[in-house]
Amino acid sequence: MRTKLFSLMILASMILAACAPAAVQPTAAPVLPTSAPVVQTVVVQQTQIVKEQVVVTPTPGPNPEAVIPGVEPNAEISLWTFYLSPWFDDYIKSTITRFEQTYPGVKVNWEDHQATFLQDYRNAMAAGTAPDVANLSDTEGWVREFAAKGLLLSMTDNLPKEVIDSYYPGLFNLQLVGGKSYQVPWYQAVAIELINKQVYDKTELKVSDFPKNYDELPALCATIKQKTGTLCDIRLTVTDLLRDMAYQGGVKVMSDDGKSFTFDSPEAVTWLQMYVDMVKKGLVDRTALVTTDDRVGLELFTSGHAAFYQTGPQLIRDVRANNPGLYGYLDIAMLPVGKSGATAPTSMAMSVKADTKFPKASLALAVFFTNAQSQLEFSKLATIFPSTPASYADPFFASTPVAIEEMVRPMAKDLISVQADIMPEIPQPADVNEIVLQAVQSALFNNVPAQQALTDAVQKANALLQ
Amino acid sequence: MNKKLSLTPYMFITPAMLVIGVFVLFPIVAVVYYSFTDYDIITKPVWVGLQNYQYLLHDDVFWQALKNSFIYLLATPIVIVLSIILAIMVNRKLPGINLFRGLYYIPAISGSIAVGIIWRWLFDAQGGLLNGVLIWVGLIKEPVQWLAEPGFTLPIAMLLTIWMGVGYYMMVFLAGLQNISEELYDAAQIDGCNSFQKHLHVSLPGLRPQIVVVTVISSLAAIEVYNEIFVLFGQLGGIMNSGVTMVFLLWREAFRLQHAGRAAAVAMVLLVITLAFSIFNLRLLERGSEAE
Repeated sequence: MRTKLFSLMILASMILAACAPAAVQPTAAPVLPTSAPVVQTVVVQQTQIVKEQVVVTPTPGPNPEAVIPGVEPNAEISLWTFYLSPWFDDYIKSTITRFEQTYPGVKVNWEDHQATFLQDYRNAMAAGTAPDVANLSDTEGWVREFAAKGLLLSMTDNLPKEVIDSYYPGLFNLQLVGGKSYQVPWYQAVAIELINKQVYDKTELKVSDFPKNYDELPALCATIKQKTGTLCDIRLTVTDLLRDMAYQGGVKVMSDDGKSFTFDSPEAVTWLQMYVDMVKKGLVDRTALVTTDDRVGLELFTSGHAAFYQTGPQLIRDVRANNPGLYGYLDIAMLPVGKSGATAPTSMAMSVKADTKFPKASLALAVFFTNAQSQLEFSKLATIFPSTPASYADPFFASTPVAIEEMVRPMAKDLISVQADIMPEIPQPADVNEIVLQAVQSALFNNVPAQQALTDAVQKANALLQ
Repeated sequence: MNKKLSLTPYMFITPAMLVIGVFVLFPIVAVVYYSFTDYDIITKPVWVGLQNYQYLLHDDVFWQALKNSFIYLLATPIVIVLSIILAIMVNRKLPGINLFRGLYYIPAISGSIAVGIIWRWLFDAQGGLLNGVLIWVGLIKEPVQWLAEPGFTLPIAMLLTIWMGVGYYMMVFLAGLQNISEELYDAAQIDGCNSFQKHLHVSLPGLRPQIVVVTVISSLAAIEVYNEIFVLFGQLGGIMNSGVTMVFLLWREAFRLQHAGRAAAVAMVLLVITLAFSIFNLRLLERGSEAE
């Protein structure tokens, strides 16, 4: 009896040891065993030989998605996404489940924040309650805002090289601060020109002849106004006008040493004068031109009063939902190329807060959501495109598009692979942009010559650098 | 025994004082402190003395916001006059009059975002109702970009404020009218007053307390206007800052430009203005009471 009890205790301790959480071994495969159970004989020394049959699951192979070593055991981390609920609840939840299976013991608490995301995140940072991992926008400059204040964890310093190499370099190196990346790129939107053929066809122009560069836009808008009586639905990025100058006008906005602004060059004046002329000739909808809200232009297009609008194909769902009659008349054209020759990325990112209690688990989650597999699955649900080259190996991206919003899919890899951030790091970006915004508005709407407006703005912006 | 008795009133006021302390006094003290700091909400405030106030003195947008806020006060007499006229009109025993009272009150209880979207559609350049009507009657040939004309920014926002406020203040004046004795109107009639004179000499003096209260409330609301500007003109507050008011400037400095210290300085200026207004209005109210 005593011997049996002793044997049972040894067995129990072995089983307990086997069941204990693998603290820093994130290699357990998520689910199914790959072969039949093995029968093994256990021999207990110093007593009589006891034969026991124990079912042992074969040691799983390394999980390709578990790429971050040393994840903290029993970490509980929080994740905020931006504007994804309720449309993608199932996707987010299933990805979190897969993550928790890949890194056993780690628990993720997810929240989706929408219109107030940025304010919520700022407030949470101030209160010390920011989420460990957050879905920040590269395009809106959120990553740089928080990274510049030392609030985000450097991905360049903390991720293994093979993980960094799994992203397109141009996208991993977005929004650099001090030469380091503070984000891993998540899903991408490929901006396109969405065309309303009901209006556009009245110009007797072909969609295939849509302007290939920005210089041709004024002529197109003049034709549209003359033939259809409608105004062009063009939007400046009023939250980052230097970006528009750089990409569209090929303007060098700062000196190489970063000690002075240079956006009053002839190239900058030419860029601004193009918009001034369009406004003076009454070719553009001025409300849409200088709104901070992308929805203003999209609503104008959706109402059927605009010939074209630059947006992401993922927003075609809004057009279809709000004006189903227009959906059948939609077509797309590629964006005009600016004088820079580069295409601005429209990128969402995942970042980790600098003072997280669980940096490894948080990095693991950021990387997990942005890995090739997770992004491929997301691409199948929404018209977004992965930042990981490996995702495009899936036949899904080679399949023939059916719906209008899918037309970009076969070209997406080529378009995304060449996207790059050509913007230098701007000090006090909000203040500088405000100065540029006032200058641009004074030229557009208050008859101030473009050169004077920009020269005055450069002086004011330079004063901030003193 | 005496000690117990002396504590009782303090125990009664303690909960209220706690709430006022936490939600009113502490924020005021905090705003005073922040107005002397460089603070971006996220990182710790840094003491800069009077720098924020000096900045405001030299900031064109601040002076424009101050001017816009005072111009916005013009909405106050308009809303009062219209509310009184409307209250007199619905203060009759006519069949279905409650329906009209209810209809006039609807804007006051409608969400400002929904109202803003409707008004944006009304003034929209392409496909907007106003342009459609004006083109249809031949008054204009090309659509006017109402929401992108700096000269129209404040008038459109004030129109929205008036439209939303008239129904609410109408109810206040209606209650006041119903407290005026019918005998006074009969006496006025015997004295030979026509309908207009009856309202001029009976209704208006009878509504004096309501007029003072509405003047205080609506002038403070006008000087603190924000919602109407935001929903109609978005985060820029209109082309060339044409719709930027003091509260809008406060929001812009704190949340768009991340200068919470400067925003606190704007709040302090606003506090002084609203205090001055409140004291002036209270004096007016006291004089009215003494006269009565």
